Amino acid sequence: MKRAGRIWHVREASTLAILMLEIVFFGWYLWPDGGGSYHPFLNSSNALLVLKYSSIYGIAAIGAAIVIISGGIDLSPGAVIALASVATGGLLVDAGWGLAPSIAAGLLVGVVSGLLVSLLVIVVQLPPFIATLGAMGIVRGAGFILTEGRYFDVSRILPPGWRPLGIPLDWWPPVVMIVLAAVFQLMMHRLQWGRAVYAIGGNETAALFSGISIGRIKTSVYLISATLAAVSGVVLALVQGQGKADLAMGYELDIIASAVVGGASLSGGRGSVIGAVLGALIFGVLRNALAQIPGATFYDRMIVGVVVIVIVVMDQILVKRGA
Amino acid sequence: MRKAKILSVMLLAVTAVGCGGSGTPPADAPRKLRFAVIPKALDLPVFDYAKVGAERAAKQLGNVEVIWRGPETGDQLKQKEILESFITQRVDGIAISCLNGDFLTDTINRAMDAGIPVVTWDADAPKSKRIAFYGVDDKAGGRILGEEAVKLLNGKGTVALMTTYGATNLQRRLDGVLEVLAQHPDIKVIETFDVKEDTVKAAELIATGTNRYPDLGAWISVGGWPVFTRNALTPVPKTTKVVAFDTIQPAPELVKAGKVQILVGQKYFGWGEEPVKMLAGIKAGKMPSATIIDSGVDIVRADNVDAYVAQFKKLEEGK
Repeated sequence: MKRAGRIWHVREASTLAILMLEIVFFGWYLWPDGGGSYHPFLNSSNALLVLKYSSIYGIAAIGAAIVIISGGIDLSPGAVIALASVATGGLLVDAGWGLAPSIAAGLLVGVVSGLLVSLLVIVVQLPPFIATLGAMGIVRGAGFILTEGRYFDVSRILPPGWRPLGIPLDWWPPVVMIVLAAVFQLMMHRLQWGRAVYAIGGNETAALFSGISIGRIKTSVYLISATLAAVSGVVLALVQGQGKADLAMGYELDIIASAVVGGASLSGGRGSVIGAVLGALIFGVLRNALAQIPGATFYDRMIVGVVVIVIVVMDQILVKRGA
Repeated sequence: MRKAKILSVMLLAVTAVGCGGSGTPPADAPRKLRFAVIPKALDLPVFDYAKVGAERAAKQLGNVEVIWRGPETGDQLKQKEILESFITQRVDGIAISCLNGDFLTDTINRAMDAGIPVVTWDADAPKSKRIAFYGVDDKAGGRILGEEAVKLLNGKGTVALMTTYGATNLQRRLDGVLEVLAQHPDIKVIETFDVKEDTVKAAELIATGTNRYPDLGAWISVGGWPVFTRNALTPVPKTTKVVAFDTIQPAPELVKAGKVQILVGQKYFGWGEEPVKMLAGIKAGKMPSATIIDSGVDIVRADNVDAYVAQFKKLEEGK
């Protein structure tokens, strides 16, 4: 167990090392010609930019990592993000609701989606892949039915230069991501619940015989995953100023990739919340840097694919050595 | 309310089938012409106005029913499937905005061979047997974008382009922009960003691009991604000009706020209205006056934005 604990720490440290290496590499690659004083990549506003956009994936990746650690998979976060943005946006813009109830409605989308998936996985006993694939379609479809292709211009409602609780709007996504990552990291490692999630993912039968309530833990896991995706959707609606049924199309794969790159094993029982957030940042830095390299547009998909494979292979080598 | 109506209709339809077709209208009732109008995607706000135009034309004509159906997102295969389903339904006419004209050519030809007249709007399938196309030549639209950008930059500076690769009409607009910019050696294209039809990605690229190129002369977008929300252009400094396609709200508000200098808009209401009228004419034996019917474009600047918004509102209200 102690050795296993060491591997987790090594894994998180290695993800952080990859992120730092990536930053150093692009810092060097994008060094200003002629040694100009303004570095287009290594500056504070660009760092905020990376954090802001990575947070959309990162918040949902926390939930994805917990699901993967429990031995499951969740394909619905992209759809939940979109529907939460639609619910919050629609109620703010069309129904004239206040901010707090609109946000609550957006989050409720996550709770309902999570309960639906739990029902399908635990009661109907569908494999998580099928259950969340179905939920993805239902939730995405609900967004299109509600909007009929329209979008809600949330930016029309929010005051320009809005600073909720005195914090600039752009800072909110990273703040939410970091706070949630810290909370769930602690929950996963300090609470019995967290240890039960690892135990179920590691060996479900053994977990059952050791008295863990599998159904209850799995319900909580899918509920958390969908609710965190809804948090991401609400943040997206407020920060980007739009509620749209086609937002975050295909993001579920990036979210899962973030968790996997951050050390979550698709066979369950292994991974970390902090690792998933670091994984989201690795992709965020990559998107940001590639956008600054002329001609890289056509390569970004390929590079992201290669990065996923390279990091997971490195992970396997690391684990074999650690074991 | 509307959803309740749709559900009621679905229930009625099921009941009618269950009752052995007791709901079929009497044989002597005048049959309405059923025209399928297919947009590129249902999630693009500009097509809502085309729908308004199509339904208005149907109402004016009286004997026409418009069936509005398209893929939820810009999915070429789904659009083809929808087109094929309308052929099997033997509708009286099809008006389609093609995501990929070449990909749809055979299917359009099949519809024509089956005696279903097809017209295209917004985005054409020029190699097909379609009867006519209503819209703007995308390359010409792109040229207008390029020319307006050149004027704003006084013929020199750097520009970043924004597109989504894979869509024929956007590629033609991009070609038009590049054709104009190529004539101005003092204008340098620093990058062509692929936003992949994702407005969040567009906002991220604008912020990253602005950070990377703080002295950028202009952003030229061949689609409306940067102007579909007020927030995407927030990081862009006043020294950088913005020229974009599409004029629906909040884009005009961005012109008023000085964040956007030029918008090039198409005849969104006409996209729906004119093809429906054309199809009705064809069914009555009157062919369109030309194969390509140029709709023209609207160019919106600070000095005409108020008039444009007022006119748009009138059209939206069906006046």
